[in-house]
Amino acid sequence: MKSIFIAYDQAYHEQILSILNFNHVRGFTAWPEVQGKGSKTGEPHLGDHAWPSLNASLITIVDDVKVKPILAQLRDLDETSKLMGLRAFVWNIEDGI
Amino acid sequence: MSIYQSAVRKPVMTSLIFIGVVILGLFSLNKLPVDLLPNIETNTIMVITTYDGASASDIETNITRPLENSLNTVSNLKNIKSVSRENRSLITLEFNYGDNIEELTNDVRDKLDMVKSFLPEGAKDPIIFKFSTEMIPVIMIAANAEKSLPALYKILDDNVANPLARINGVGSVSISGAPKREIQVYIDPMRLEAYHLTIEAIGQYIRMENINTPAGNMDIGNETYALRVQGEFKNSAELNKIVVGSAGGKTVYLSDVAVVKDNLEERTQRTFTNGKPGATIVVQKQSGANTVNIANAVLKALPGIQKTLPADVKLNVIVDTSESIKQTISGLTETVLYAFLFVVLVVLFFLGRWRATVIIILTIPISLITAFIYLYGTGGTLNIISLSALSVAIGMVVDDAIVVLENVTTHIERGSRPASAAVHGTNEVALSVVASTLTLIAVFFPLTLITGAAGVMFQQLGWMVTIIMTVSMICALTLTPMLSAQLLRLNPKRSKTFTAIYSPIEHFLGSLDNFYARVVNWAIRHRGLVVILTTIFFILSILPAKFIGTEYIPAQDNGRIAATIELPVGTRMEITQRIAEQLKELWNKKYPEIDMINFSVGQAASSNVWGSLQTNGSNIISMNFRFLPLSQRSRSMFAISDSISNDLKNFPEISKSKVIAGGGMSMMGGQSSLDVEVYGYDFNQTDKVAKALAKDIGAIKGLTNVSLSRTDYTPEYQVDFDREKLAQNGLNIATASTYLRNRINGLTASLFREEGEEYTIRVVYGPEYRQSIQAIEDIMIYNNQGQGVRLKDLGKVVERFTPPTIERKNRQRLVTVSSTVSGTTIDKAVAGINAAIDKIDMPQNLYVKIGGTYIDQQDSFKDLLSLLLIIIMLVFIVMASQFESLSSPFIIMFTVPFAFSGVILSLAITGSTLNMMSFVGMIMLIGIVVKNGIVLVDYINLNRERGMGIIRATVSGGKSRLRPVLMTTLTTILGMLPLALSNSEGSELWKSMAITVIGGLAVSTLLTLIIVPTIYTIFKGNGVRKQHKKLRRADALKLLEANNAK
Repeated sequence: MKSIFIAYDQAYHEQILSILNFNHVRGFTAWPEVQGKGSKTGEPHLGDHAWPSLNASLITIVDDVKVKPILAQLRDLDETSKLMGLRAFVWNIEDGI
Repeated sequence: MSIYQSAVRKPVMTSLIFIGVVILGLFSLNKLPVDLLPNIETNTIMVITTYDGASASDIETNITRPLENSLNTVSNLKNIKSVSRENRSLITLEFNYGDNIEELTNDVRDKLDMVKSFLPEGAKDPIIFKFSTEMIPVIMIAANAEKSLPALYKILDDNVANPLARINGVGSVSISGAPKREIQVYIDPMRLEAYHLTIEAIGQYIRMENINTPAGNMDIGNETYALRVQGEFKNSAELNKIVVGSAGGKTVYLSDVAVVKDNLEERTQRTFTNGKPGATIVVQKQSGANTVNIANAVLKALPGIQKTLPADVKLNVIVDTSESIKQTISGLTETVLYAFLFVVLVVLFFLGRWRATVIIILTIPISLITAFIYLYGTGGTLNIISLSALSVAIGMVVDDAIVVLENVTTHIERGSRPASAAVHGTNEVALSVVASTLTLIAVFFPLTLITGAAGVMFQQLGWMVTIIMTVSMICALTLTPMLSAQLLRLNPKRSKTFTAIYSPIEHFLGSLDNFYARVVNWAIRHRGLVVILTTIFFILSILPAKFIGTEYIPAQDNGRIAATIELPVGTRMEITQRIAEQLKELWNKKYPEIDMINFSVGQAASSNVWGSLQTNGSNIISMNFRFLPLSQRSRSMFAISDSISNDLKNFPEISKSKVIAGGGMSMMGGQSSLDVEVYGYDFNQTDKVAKALAKDIGAIKGLTNVSLSRTDYTPEYQVDFDREKLAQNGLNIATASTYLRNRINGLTASLFREEGEEYTIRVVYGPEYRQSIQAIEDIMIYNNQGQGVRLKDLGKVVERFTPPTIERKNRQRLVTVSSTVSGTTIDKAVAGINAAIDKIDMPQNLYVKIGGTYIDQQDSFKDLLSLLLIIIMLVFIVMASQFESLSSPFIIMFTVPFAFSGVILSLAITGSTLNMMSFVGMIMLIGIVVKNGIVLVDYINLNRERGMGIIRATVSGGKSRLRPVLMTTLTTILGMLPLALSNSEGSELWKSMAITVIGGLAVSTLLTLIIVPTIYTIFKGNGVRKQHKKLRRADALKLLEANNAK
């Protein structure tokens, strides 16, 4: 079991849900409005006067086999419009109920 | 879920809600009546009382004063004015605007009922009219006739006046120039004396003979019969056969002492239209009724009425006031449509995308149409103010939508899908859209709080724009994102032709951006010079202010002139008529622009309401001119009116004349007057003071056209009875004066009935026996014993002069010395007048008051000025809360003075005046110019927050906001341009407003683009410098301490 944490421009939300759906991922936890800033490039998403746009973030716990296709699709999505900003990170899941 | 999110998610609901609103709006538009201005008339009620044969002072004492005393207690009364003139008393009750006129009319009626019994016997019942003298007739119809001329009055009264008077809102229908039928019994005094008869006795005989008496019922056999005596005259000739006495055993018939004539009234007014005699029917409206509706109803009824008239009676509409209103409104509607077109072009020019343009343009009709629902709901009309509000708003309603659309487009270009771009893009700018709308509402909402006559105009404008702006904001936050989500595409394909046309434009806009960036860069590096130069410009631009005249509401060329021409008092009507015909001939030749001339001469009949309101008399000609439409003539109505005044000076027989351009359409228009009211009972004293004042005031620089309200004294004969002689003969003044009145004015003996109509039978001396003083002196007065005494044995006939009219205001006699103000300020003029008043040796019981429209105008200008300050403060408050800073709004406020310098320059260059409409323009300007500043400063702030230095932030911020600023400015200026350029009827009214907005906005935008960045860098630069200084000092201190420690 691995967790994928995705932080992305709000506007991506529906596309990301459809990627999860496509890969038969049912469960996730999402935060619709979060602030964020890329480490190197991209516009900050801070929701203030200077940088009004906001991010959303989502975490989903999937089987190990699903991680690769999902990340590939997310990368493709990011490539289509680099300016909006989309990042994903993967962790191991030790245990759960 | 936010409002824009649900709008984007539910396109069907969103679009249907807006379609529903539009349908409601169109329905309201369809029902909206048309008028020139919002209902700004003060409520007036007039009470007219006629007392035939009484002179002005008799009327004053016997009629006007008792009525005034009783009417003075009517609640909410503002002013009570009266004019007492020969035969007639006119009392005008003025109430505050907005009082319920129906309730007040009932109150007035109650008071009149109470006082009626105290009026003299011969006085007719007071009549209440729900309109004022100033109210111009809605429609004047000329009726020409040939064979039917003698019966014209009856024909018109039955078939025209009655049906027209039933139309809703019609105040009165008066017929002038058509004499009424009357049976006259002309007595020969010699024969009367010979048979020892009196007029009173003859009147009595006629009354007794002209009677129908029911005698009761009687039973004959099985039936009951009614018994009656049918004594009434069947035709007027029967009067001749009446037995009035016997002398020497022979019967004396009425024909032995009198000539019976079935004739027309003696003293009447004659009316001519284009030289043909006939009658004029004047339709006036009630207070607050809608002119256009009434005119339409009358015009609709006329063809039907024409059919009921004899073939030779022709009706012609000579004046239709609604015509110019309709033309004015349609002219304005046209300019609103042009404004719409210009705005579309500007948006397309700057955006270069069809779909985006369509999305933005849709907000215009939707927000404007909503305003119609408000108008319909509040009983408003389509008028100059409400339509101006529309044309003002057209340029502004697109602004919010443009901001939203631009941000959504940025999101789409970044790669977002239209649906989510619409939601998030709108979310980001929603707050600033609301804030900028609030700034405009801060400008327009206070207008709704003004009271009084000016308030009625401004309230409508304020509400209209507030509502339109609110709706446009809602539109921008719901409809615009929804449509963007549906219509916008990433990088839409452009057709080849479009690219060919648009790429030079794009190139031009690009180089304009770069040019501006260079200019700003230069300016903020030469801040001191820029500040000095703009200050000098501001001071220079203020200088022309003293050349700008002021007026209340601009005069309008409606193609009508009214003239009152007076010949020496006492001139016979025939002479007056001849001169009128001469003048008509002359003017018809001299001014080809004249479409029609209509004139009346002579004394108006008591039943003629319209006529009795005008100054009338045998020596007075009242003329009405109608000119061809403005497009078909080169000279303006004002030039012709001046020329007509000059022509009149060449007639030595004319003693006085008044030519009013606009046909007495005294709707606060025209020149402003400064009036000095001299109150006092004694005619001689007030006259002396008024004349002395007039002389002094005429000498004051800047005050012209000084005139007195009291007209020339008319000669009249008075009979001074000797009370002792009267008493010796067993007579008193009452009996003697009744004898006099019955012989000269006549005695209404009875009524002759024919075909359901009643005509008076008047017993009077024959005309040849009442043409000399001798005849009066020879009048035989009988006492109770039947002894006759000649009038000359009882008193003297003397000639005296009395004022023809006695004016009163608030129950005091007054004379008004009025003057026109030109080329001086009000305080100087008033100071001069006060000095003149002090110089005069004022009798004790006299006092003087200064008033007039000029004072009112100054007062309302003062009110508007304080409103202007309040609005500036409100705008500052809104901006300061939006920026959460005091310096940013202060910087933006620098745009306002330049708007005023633009206003002054444009008014001075175009030769326009500062009036109510240009004031409206100035108030609007504040909101519009401040908006430009907000856009600039907001973006520069944003750049700074994103980490740029002050100078870079300013230059790049300015560069990227140049297009939106130019776009909003151009939409507003081009929206106003049709108004400024239009030459249609009524354009004088809104021209000055449009010129004000265009001039102010153009100058202030150009300077805003330079001065705001410059001042921004001065203020913020100082802040940064101070901070640095502080830090440096702290460093130095630390260093010092470290050194000391060592």
